[in-house]
Amino acid sequence: MKNALGREIPTTIGNRSVEAYAGAFAKQRSGFKAPQPQKSSVPGENKVLPSLEAAIEATGLKDGMTISFHHSFREGDRVINQVVDACARMGLKDLRLFPTALFGTHAKLVDHIKSGVVSRIEGSMNGPVGAFISQGGKLREPATLRSHGGRWRAIESGDVAIDVAFIAASQADAYGNANGINGRTPCGPITFCMVDAQYARKTVVVTNELAPYPAYPLEIQQGWVDYIVVVDEVGDPEQIASGTLEMTKSPARLRIARLAADAVVASPYFKDGLSFQGGAGGVSLAATMYLAEAMEKAKIVGGFVMGGGTRIMVEMLHKGLVRTILDGQAFDPIAVASLGVDPAHVIMNPGLYANYDSRGCATYMLDAAFLGATEVDVDFNVNVNTHSDGRLLHGIGGHQDVAAGAKMTVITAPSIRGRLPVILDRVTTVTTPGEVVDVIVTERGIAVNPRRDDLKACFRDAGLPVRDIAELKAEADGLVRPLGKPVFGDEVVAAIEWRDGTVIDVVRKVEGWQ
Amino acid sequence: MPEGTIVGSDAKGDCRVSLVPGKSLAIEVATEDPRLFERGIREVVEETLAKLGRIQGTLSVADKGSLDYVIAARVEAAVRTALPKTPSIVPAIERRASEKDAPRRSRLYAPGNNPRLLVGIELHRADCVLLDLEDSVPPTEKAAARVLVKHLLGAIDFPNEVWVRINPLALGGADDVREVILARPHGVALPKAESRDDVVALSKELAKAEQAFGAPLGSTWIMPILETAKGVLHAEEIAAADPRVAVVAFGAEDFTRDVGARRTSESLLFARSMIVAAAKAAGVQASDTVYADIDDEVGLAVEAHLARDLGFDGKGAIHPGQIPALHAAFTPSEKEMDEARKIVTAAEEAEAHGIGAIAIGGKMIDRPVLERARRVVRLSDRLSRKESR
Repeated sequence: MKNALGREIPTTIGNRSVEAYAGAFAKQRSGFKAPQPQKSSVPGENKVLPSLEAAIEATGLKDGMTISFHHSFREGDRVINQVVDACARMGLKDLRLFPTALFGTHAKLVDHIKSGVVSRIEGSMNGPVGAFISQGGKLREPATLRSHGGRWRAIESGDVAIDVAFIAASQADAYGNANGINGRTPCGPITFCMVDAQYARKTVVVTNELAPYPAYPLEIQQGWVDYIVVVDEVGDPEQIASGTLEMTKSPARLRIARLAADAVVASPYFKDGLSFQGGAGGVSLAATMYLAEAMEKAKIVGGFVMGGGTRIMVEMLHKGLVRTILDGQAFDPIAVASLGVDPAHVIMNPGLYANYDSRGCATYMLDAAFLGATEVDVDFNVNVNTHSDGRLLHGIGGHQDVAAGAKMTVITAPSIRGRLPVILDRVTTVTTPGEVVDVIVTERGIAVNPRRDDLKACFRDAGLPVRDIAELKAEADGLVRPLGKPVFGDEVVAAIEWRDGTVIDVVRKVEGWQ
Repeated sequence: MPEGTIVGSDAKGDCRVSLVPGKSLAIEVATEDPRLFERGIREVVEETLAKLGRIQGTLSVADKGSLDYVIAARVEAAVRTALPKTPSIVPAIERRASEKDAPRRSRLYAPGNNPRLLVGIELHRADCVLLDLEDSVPPTEKAAARVLVKHLLGAIDFPNEVWVRINPLALGGADDVREVILARPHGVALPKAESRDDVVALSKELAKAEQAFGAPLGSTWIMPILETAKGVLHAEEIAAADPRVAVVAFGAEDFTRDVGARRTSESLLFARSMIVAAAKAAGVQASDTVYADIDDEVGLAVEAHLARDLGFDGKGAIHPGQIPALHAAFTPSEKEMDEARKIVTAAEEAEAHGIGAIAIGGKMIDRPVLERARRVVRLSDRLSRKESR
């Protein structure tokens, strides 16, 4: 069947039936969430177990079940590999992984997929695992990719049932209260897994530091936790910043960042109370920096800045340029340190951030947001999931959630990367629909969604280089000959869910080239 | 790849090309993802070879994400290195002519043999982009650089002026002229100009090249760069050497080395004032030296305003990030523009009524003030005609 964007999607994926994407806010629900497990306790119970194997045994984990993880340690995570290795040693098979994201450090999962320990993955796959899957790897069912808010919703609605949640924590007490803020190796908020802890049949906290009761802040709470395991290492905080925090030096990229910041400055939202999403990645960081400079010059105090927390946001808070940071995950050690000490640096869980089926999302309070793109198209659709050769490379992250919420969503992307054109007639995969994208900024100029003639007028008045998106495309296309094109077969490798649980696009296996 | 015929590099945005002459043509392409890129690269290679004549041999391309014009330039340079009798490719271009006193508040330098740093160089709104074949290009890369600059000039539509800084004539500058003139830059910057003869010799080379390649005679401006003690002392004869001279530039880095000075605003004052006076006496523009610390925005702004106060019309930039500060310094203020317009209008009225003396509000306006006002009006008209960004 075809969804509202004209993308051809199957009616079933694996053994679940598919609901087609119908529009960014077309689906409205009311009713009740899925039930959470309930279990009484008595004083004096011991929850600490001597090893991961003992915990896995105690949870009753069986072949075919689902285990979940968070990604707050990013490239530095040591827990996912340890747990899956332990499962493999215990002879478990056919497990379904449900991580919030996977990274390059999890490349060895490919071996576990090949040997059948892991047979399904639901979650954002960055790097080698994604590449393996899109070559038609040995997964029993297509992967499902969800945004941060979409994953939370899928758990609460019962779309995904978790058997055991394994939660990495840099500090925990023996009763199960756990956090990522304190301890020797803090990683920042671990609230991505709050919903896992509440809905999983069993919850195991994995920590490298047992603190006296009560360990705080209370990110993960004792009432949700069955077992605690102490291991030597949960993660390397040095590696949470990997790749995302290099400030770009490229003149073309700095120009994109400058134009993106200038676009916000020229918009009606640039006034006291301005709220925006910063994010990581060279261009977003530079744009955030330029915007901060403009705010300082214009003596504007922002309401809140949202994102993966970064040094730049912490500096803005200290300078009084924003009142609050809403922080879902920390992108560098300075953000981690600030979270522990500054009450205006607030931990935000993905439910609060972006749960579509809730009575409010923090992203809906955003004025402006800077987001990246692997590809964009002339209809303003954005792809962040697949490479132009069809390979599944990146997760959705908060892309959909932020774009859907912000009053002015600014996509920053070069018009061309090496010989790869970035502006296409049709993106390889739709992650975020043009319906929620307002502005695309490239080094060659700013394209404004025809829905937003108001913004176009503001930009023109400010002397910004407003260009038609087709014109930008033609200019970039003039620099490189057309690419070879992958020919996709029928087999679905992954489904891309919109934040409401409908399917916005699917990734198909590449069968040949033309 | 065999030694001696390799052109280009393995840097991002570049490609490495070699030609081993032989009895038949074979093209080998290596690229990050052949399925995506190989066909396009082959097309560019084949078209380029076709323009060069019947080339026989094994041509190898190792691509690192290079744009089409970079591939074409590398192929041409590799073929002409291996087969020196091969004629140059003449790009098909239409370039708008520039006026002798076009606004030149900023002249942005870009290294002529670094494709990655050349991408999008036309986008930063510099009044004048200066593609460099001199200091930023190592001697072994000079030949490839002039071909790359030619292809860049042929492929990219520059919104404002684009110039080429050649090498001194005796050090390859004549070859530079013969190559790049094919792609019709607005002007040529001559480094280390020290005498009238240097400029006249370049003018002759330009005239020869223009005639040989069918360009309108005299259509290429000259920017002598004064960066030695001798050059500064001969500023007057250099500025007035040839009608092609449109702007005289100062190069402080080499100048301080030549005279043994430390770089301060005081130590450069004589050279700067000399150059401004010489340029203005000859009726041409003066452009100040570059500011080397790209992270020091305050220092840049201070130096740009100093140069403006001295009478310079613009200043060099080594990074696009410096351009806004230069434009801020060298754009006349609203007040200056209004005053200038009033003076020019008063002069026109006086002329219409056959009155010799011009007065505004009882104050007499003398000739130099009127000339200055005319320059400001011309500049502001040209700036307002330019695309806003």
